[in-house]
Amino acid sequence: MPSASIPPTVASRPSRRWVAAASALLVVGACTAVDAVLYPHMDLANLVMVYLLGVLLLAYFQGTGASVLASFLSVVMFDFCFVPPRFTLAIASAQHLFTFAVMLLVALSIGQLTAWVRAQAEEARARERRTAELYALSRELATTRGTDDLLGAALKHISAHLESAAVALLPDAKGKLCVRCGDASEFSLSPRETALAQWAYDFGQLTGRGTAIVPDAEALYVPLPASGETVGALAVKPLVAGRLLSPEQIDLLEALAHQTALAVASDRLTDENQRIRVREENERIRSSLLSSVSHDLRTPLAAITGSATALLQEDGGLDAAARRDLLENIRDEADRLSRLVGNLIEMTRLEAGPVDLHTELHHLEDVVGSALARMEERLRGRPLVTALPADLPMVPMDALLMEQVLVNLVDNALKYTPAATPVEVVAEAGNGRLTVRVSDRGPGIPPEDLDRLFDKFYRGRLHGPAGGAGLGLAICKAVVEAHGGAIWAANRAGGGAVFQFFLPAEAPPP
Amino acid sequence: MIPEPQPVVLIVEDELSIRRFLKPSLQTEGFAVAEADTGAEGLALAASRQPAVVLLDLGLPDVDGLEILRRLRAVSAVPVIILTARGRDEDKIAGLDAGADDYLTKPFSVGELLARIRVALRHAQAPGEDACAEPYASGDLAVDLAARMVRARGAEVHLTPHEYGILALLVRRAGKVVTQKQILKEVWGHAGVEQAHYVRLYVHQLRGKIERDPARPVHIVTEPGVGYRLKDA
Repeated sequence: MPSASIPPTVASRPSRRWVAAASALLVVGACTAVDAVLYPHMDLANLVMVYLLGVLLLAYFQGTGASVLASFLSVVMFDFCFVPPRFTLAIASAQHLFTFAVMLLVALSIGQLTAWVRAQAEEARARERRTAELYALSRELATTRGTDDLLGAALKHISAHLESAAVALLPDAKGKLCVRCGDASEFSLSPRETALAQWAYDFGQLTGRGTAIVPDAEALYVPLPASGETVGALAVKPLVAGRLLSPEQIDLLEALAHQTALAVASDRLTDENQRIRVREENERIRSSLLSSVSHDLRTPLAAITGSATALLQEDGGLDAAARRDLLENIRDEADRLSRLVGNLIEMTRLEAGPVDLHTELHHLEDVVGSALARMEERLRGRPLVTALPADLPMVPMDALLMEQVLVNLVDNALKYTPAATPVEVVAEAGNGRLTVRVSDRGPGIPPEDLDRLFDKFYRGRLHGPAGGAGLGLAICKAVVEAHGGAIWAANRAGGGAVFQFFLPAEAPPP
Repeated sequence: MIPEPQPVVLIVEDELSIRRFLKPSLQTEGFAVAEADTGAEGLALAASRQPAVVLLDLGLPDVDGLEILRRLRAVSAVPVIILTARGRDEDKIAGLDAGADDYLTKPFSVGELLARIRVALRHAQAPGEDACAEPYASGDLAVDLAARMVRARGAEVHLTPHEYGILALLVRRAGKVVTQKQILKEVWGHAGVEQAHYVRLYVHQLRGKIERDPARPVHIVTEPGVGYRLKDA
């Protein structure tokens, strides 16, 4: 980890050293006082124990420095106060020299060992905190989507656990970092600070406050490294002015940054995949549209061209009936072209954005009437039953679009069923809905087609003889859903298909 | 039946392919045809040829068709039938509001066109719309405005004042489109757009009384997005 380059930055170091020294003096003084009380009753070896106990306590609570100081002080005080001749540093017996050496050695060893045990425990606690913190963040990142929300979650954790202000900076199109997320009011973002952030991003190094690179900067800049790329940088500034982050905190910060960067990168990848899927789908639809439309435009055009040239070239060989037949063919095929183009235009309009409904209160009867009038020519000779109760309520709808829905549904029934079979248009009101059914007695719908029938450019396996771009039902669905209703298809008991839709009888709240 | 000299139909349309079938169709019906492919030329011909009917395409290259219509209306009461593309319903309403007598949606058949021209000529020749003394009869519907008498399917029908008002207006303009706004103005005396659904409500009731199958009306047909038309007798 690059954090090795950071000089140790323990907050307010000198004052802590004084506290350690003072407590060493205090403890050794206290031990001497206790020994003074015990002196008449115990021998010298036991007095040494009291000093060792003091060193042990100091090592645990104040660390190595205090315990080493106390070890030497203890030997001196012991010699001065209790070893004969008392109240001098002189030594009467060489045996006492041995005692001092062992005492010093034991005191130093106790101090070192205790401090080490303590450091281990502290490190374990720190590790645990760090793991918990990383786990909490990773859990939050896992349930978050979108770069901004991911960065927001990370910043929240950093601010809460490092008592710092933090912002995330992401590169713009030119690779220049800008604040993307977080409250930037704590940061001056002067050119120098921005350059440090840029450095952190460009080279993946820690920069700024407390690091090897411009240690007196205002804030610390942490890169956001994902696998293979750096997604941005974090700027972190302790809330207490002048404080530095400890090496452990910086380690944690780096781990958090790494985790956040991975989450952001993988989120972007998901987005990218999504976009690719949508693009592929659009591509598929476009090519399907092209093939379907070009086929459906060419067929009637071919029929019109063929019939017209036949009429132009004939020199009296055709009888009146044959000529009329050709002329009728031209008219019918032109009608078909007109319907197809109409549907294409309608679909384009519906897809161009939110459908602009001209909703007004209408009687379904009126709309059914004009739809059937538009199809008069093709309905000739076809048994068609309408059953609309006289007391149907007026319902909010866009009459022109709804007319198109009915035309498409009836047209569909005509196209896919034999000429003599009946078609029914039935409506009923109830439960706050106006329900309309267009049913036929044709071959019905293969079950596997039922779900996809309303998809754009989908044509059932039973292609009608007249074809169509597969747009009619998709338009129906778009229009009905824009009205807040729903449309579906089913097979009828006794044979045939039924297309059914409902509209809310009340206008949806704006 | 057409008196000499032949009545002139002025076609203001920039698409040659449309004029190509309009001209012979009208000529075989005994009309003289004047053609203009720009609005300016159309206005000039309207002044010099004194047409009996004007067919006006709204999508002209030089001037907005509605503007031509307004300028024409400033100097002449000649019947104008506008030609529009399907889906441009605002155009139709704007055209009718600006003084057009009727409209045709492209693509249209020659039969429809001739029927519209006949209706327009008849209304232009009648001295005034209210002086429609002749009783109207079409299929199983008979309306005698002078006697305030309506018969449908062989029996007398009793209408409320609003229903009768709508039917009378449609009869006076039989064969011509009548906008919802015009109905509101003539029958209710004001034309607030927000009341348009009253018109639809009363037409619904009226159909219930005079149509055999109100869902497939043969007398009062809906002109989607525009208004209603009483089928020509």
